[in-house]
Amino acid sequence: MEIDLAGAVIALDGETNSIVDAVTAALRANGGHIVEGAPTPATDILLVSCPLRPGTKTGDPRSLYADARKAAVAMTERGGRIVFLISAIAGMPMRRHPRFSMENASILAGMRALAMEFGPKILVNAVGFGVVEDDAIVSGDRAMLSHTPVGRAGSVEEAVAAVLFFCDPLNSYTTGQMLGVDGGWAAGYGRNF
Amino acid sequence: MRCDLSDRVALVTGAAGAIGSAIAKRLSDNGAAVVVADIDKEGAERVAAGLRNAMACALDIRDGQSVDAAIARVCDRYGRLDILVNNAGVNTLAHRVTIDEFPPEEWDRITGIDLDGLYIMSRAALAPMLAAGKGGRIVNIASVVGLAAMRLQSPFVAAKAAIVHLTRSMAIELGAKGILTNAIAPGSVLTALTAKLFYGDDGKFAGRTQEFLAHVPLGRPAQPEEIAEAVLFLASPAASYINGQVLAVDGGWTAGYMM
Repeated sequence: MEIDLAGAVIALDGETNSIVDAVTAALRANGGHIVEGAPTPATDILLVSCPLRPGTKTGDPRSLYADARKAAVAMTERGGRIVFLISAIAGMPMRRHPRFSMENASILAGMRALAMEFGPKILVNAVGFGVVEDDAIVSGDRAMLSHTPVGRAGSVEEAVAAVLFFCDPLNSYTTGQMLGVDGGWAAGYGRNF
Repeated sequence: MRCDLSDRVALVTGAAGAIGSAIAKRLSDNGAAVVVADIDKEGAERVAAGLRNAMACALDIRDGQSVDAAIARVCDRYGRLDILVNNAGVNTLAHRVTIDEFPPEEWDRITGIDLDGLYIMSRAALAPMLAAGKGGRIVNIASVVGLAAMRLQSPFVAAKAAIVHLTRSMAIELGAKGILTNAIAPGSVLTALTAKLFYGDDGKFAGRTQEFLAHVPLGRPAQPEEIAEAVLFLASPAASYINGQVLAVDGGWTAGYMM
């Protein structure tokens, strides 16, 4: 897919991983300009990259929210987009990962609150990743695959597409939403009954 | 976004209407052959005439024979069907009343089109998709009222909530066969119907439009093209790991309470 970012200034907050690397490469290829450092009033799009593998420390969702809100205040005059990269577990807790479930659910609630506070100037959305792998697991837990109707992990390329969708200037009425990229993992009992 | 749908055939129901015609155009502009399906034959022909590679198709989604005949015509013309957009739907304009006063015949009309029709259409469209064994996409057009209930339109609310959950059911049934099912839940969209309710000067609830829009972070209704953009993404090759999702395209209406 192609989108037209027309020189949009893009900032990144949070961890790097192979999804983020591929996202920034795709944003550049579609006309975006990635800048180092904290978001400024010149920032058009902020990517908030959260840890995607259970067991890795997400950090305090309250400070993550505070940082994103500070960026939103800076971006308000020009308007823009904030896209959170989180785990699909935000909408479907897993027994084996209580802390990771809580942290992601908290980030999701904060994302929605930002969408309400900063609309209509800033659109705020999240992509919730299920199992994504390249050479190794990038997102999620392999156990999720037993409930994934399409029966396979997602690719980095498939993960990137949803982020581009939320950055697309033509996608202009979607805010406060998490779009799962999980092969149907969160849709219901996809196992064997 | 731009994508390559040049080898795909898409069928859009309710495609003579505002949202349906916008969806048909976005798919067509990205290369798909589009079946413009509607109970309004002349409307379908008018929309199809404005597209690059399209056929008009008169059908009544409540009628299995009508739908089967339409799918047969599509297969005759194109030999395949890759994308189904279940967009056709109705709501009530005259009967904005609570459930105890809601006329049974109007309940049946609305649920018969919005829910039963979606089942009848999907069942028929799945036949060529499954037979070809190449997967496919189904995009159901639900509504925010299927996620957050609203008053004075109980059959529409019930049918759209059913579509939300049916989407998930279809996703877990069909995902292993390569057919991905998702839904868009539009918020308020500027159409001829909503003009009669909210956005026209003589709309039924015209005096309360700003009060209503105060619940929507973007503070305005959607244009049909903004709904179509999300449908295009879910129908595109890029969305190949998205299944069972219900994406609200609602200006943030269902993000939370604006209080």
